[in-house]
Amino acid sequence: MSYEDWYRQDRLPHIFCAGCGNGTIINCTLAAIEQMDWKKEETVFVSGIGCSSRAPGYILTDSLHTTHGRAIAFATGVKMANPDLHVVVFTGDGDMAAIGGNHFIHACRRNIDLTVICMNNQIYGMTGGQGSPTTPKGCLSSTTPFGCAETPFDLCELATAAGANYVSRWTSYHVKELEKAVKVGLETPGFSFIEALTQCPTAFGRRNKFRQVSDHVEYLRSHSLLKAKRDRMLENHEQIPEDMYIVGEITRRKRPAMGVKP
Amino acid sequence: MKLAIDETRCKGCNLCTKVCPYKIFKEGKRLNRKGVALPELDRPERCANCRLQKLYGRQLCGVCQLTCPDQAIHWIEEEPYELHKVAIEY
Repeated sequence: MSYEDWYRQDRLPHIFCAGCGNGTIINCTLAAIEQMDWKKEETVFVSGIGCSSRAPGYILTDSLHTTHGRAIAFATGVKMANPDLHVVVFTGDGDMAAIGGNHFIHACRRNIDLTVICMNNQIYGMTGGQGSPTTPKGCLSSTTPFGCAETPFDLCELATAAGANYVSRWTSYHVKELEKAVKVGLETPGFSFIEALTQCPTAFGRRNKFRQVSDHVEYLRSHSLLKAKRDRMLENHEQIPEDMYIVGEITRRKRPAMGVKP
Repeated sequence: MKLAIDETRCKGCNLCTKVCPYKIFKEGKRLNRKGVALPELDRPERCANCRLQKLYGRQLCGVCQLTCPDQAIHWIEEEPYELHKVAIEY
């Protein structure tokens, strides 16, 4: 039995653009869930609105496709009503950080037993490439035609500060690491947040000099800095390049959690 | 076991050409019926999972399958007595 059994074969191929990283992240998530020995009847996938939130429609379990930004609020209700269920939330950056930002930080504060996988493509892909709260400085989008002037959100730092139990960040290039991170997140009692940076060739790459999908994936690979290496560089008082982002396991702790059966 | 690309699912993003450690996938030139250039397989008998999955009894490597955003790559069982190409590498 492999993770492909979790897909609705009649719904495939999905409607994501050629080269979109969302499919990769669904693969990694399902591969991690496959190792957990969970029944399909006891697993629920919740999502909001956006490209990434189409994911539960392709998975052969019960799923909720909810209103924009409210995926975590709905998931909280599912988990509180029946703590036996395993609840996994798929969400995007515009869904979770922009519109559902408050739900996100309060879910972190309450430390509800959810696993949130954020597919961060740094743009609103479905609606035509508007700038999102995680668009990096200087990047072009249809609402920031002269380069984004705002400082982006660091979602992992936000989740850590709000009190999540497990926080990690990987990219769609690091598939094996992402699979392991999702597995640890599923095992952790309490709120676990996994941010997965993905490529968006249609809306983001087209405007930001990543014409080929492989160029963007190469950028994701070469500009990721392992957390252990970052700590070592800080110890040696070295300069950390500004365009690098940190990948790896950022937080793991044991705060009291809600919705966990004793 | 042998590698197979599902022609109805592949969208031709060529991410597999980037991630395979053996560089088995090569960018394709010929368009298929849907107008997608499928990647071509370059000596697929080198694939570690094809050779050793039976021996180890578990999935090996499998990065191409995990990376493929369109779930197009999978392994299929070979027919009995199928001809094998033997590559000797020095």
